[in-house]
Amino acid sequence: MRRWLPVVALGLVIAVAGIVVTVVTAPGAAPTHAERAAALAAELRCPDCQGLSVADSPTASAREIRRQIDELVAGGATDDEVRAHFVARYGEWIRLAPSSTALWLIPFGVVLAGGALLVAWLLRRPRSSAMQDATPTEAQRRAVRDEAEALDA
Amino acid sequence: MRALRWLLVPLLVVPVTWLLFQGFGRDPREVASPLLDREAPPWTLTTLDGETLSSDDLAGRPYLVNFWASWCIPACVDEHPVLAAAHDRYGDELIVVGVLYQDDTDDARAFLARYGDAGYPHLVDPDGRLAIDFGVTGPPETFFVDADGLVRYRQFGPLTDELMADRLPLILPVAAR
Repeated sequence: MRRWLPVVALGLVIAVAGIVVTVVTAPGAAPTHAERAAALAAELRCPDCQGLSVADSPTASAREIRRQIDELVAGGATDDEVRAHFVARYGEWIRLAPSSTALWLIPFGVVLAGGALLVAWLLRRPRSSAMQDATPTEAQRRAVRDEAEALDA
Repeated sequence: MRALRWLLVPLLVVPVTWLLFQGFGRDPREVASPLLDREAPPWTLTTLDGETLSSDDLAGRPYLVNFWASWCIPACVDEHPVLAAAHDRYGDELIVVGVLYQDDTDDARAFLARYGDAGYPHLVDPDGRLAIDFGVTGPPETFFVDADGLVRYRQFGPLTDELMADRLPLILPVAAR
């Protein structure tokens, strides 16, 4: 059990690092206007819905926001400018995903810290009797031998 | 180390549980408005009476922008007399402007006929553009704009007499009594 711990810990670190790299280096917005507008609509929260993006919502507000996104994109605004346009009105709340990539690292950091704590705890814990070294000491050998001889006698 | 483990429960689990429980009592849409202490969005819209009204017409005077709807029950019904009283009491010192939030104009007129029309203008915002400019997530929401045109307070949910007495001095010094 104990000798597998470093392997498990290493595996955990590699898996989490892999996920972080995948998330951080995900491909950017699509090239055409329509694709960019659709991607932006999917990022923005519908203001009068429960947990729906502007792209998925049929409300009048969502329709108007989609129209404004199209207008802004067609007018030459960058993706960040379009996001800023709505953040200036609703705050960061309008974005379904946090803007800072550093925030994405928090859950992974928590999982890593928890894993490290678990490993540290398992390593520190006094091993139970069942897991103790099975090789008997010379004194134990002698005791067993003496007992066996006593039975034979 | 052993004592530390027992401290872990009160120090970590209790505050985290408390924090999560706090979330149940709050509306997730009630976030701080980025408009606070910034210039109110400009607008030129038609009122229910068919007149054109612009934010420029209100320049130099404090005003309230109240987003409401006839289907917003009971919150908009509850706050309706509060706004009417403010309009009656302060007259030209404080302009009250209603804005229809995703509402049918006939339904809005019926609402005013039923609950009382205090006489202040109500803007028709057909595409909801003004609601988006103000970052409104649902009625009722009221923005307190001072004489310099800066948003000083945003009320999320219905106004009450207490709230009005407390917040109106932010934009109307005369109200501080």
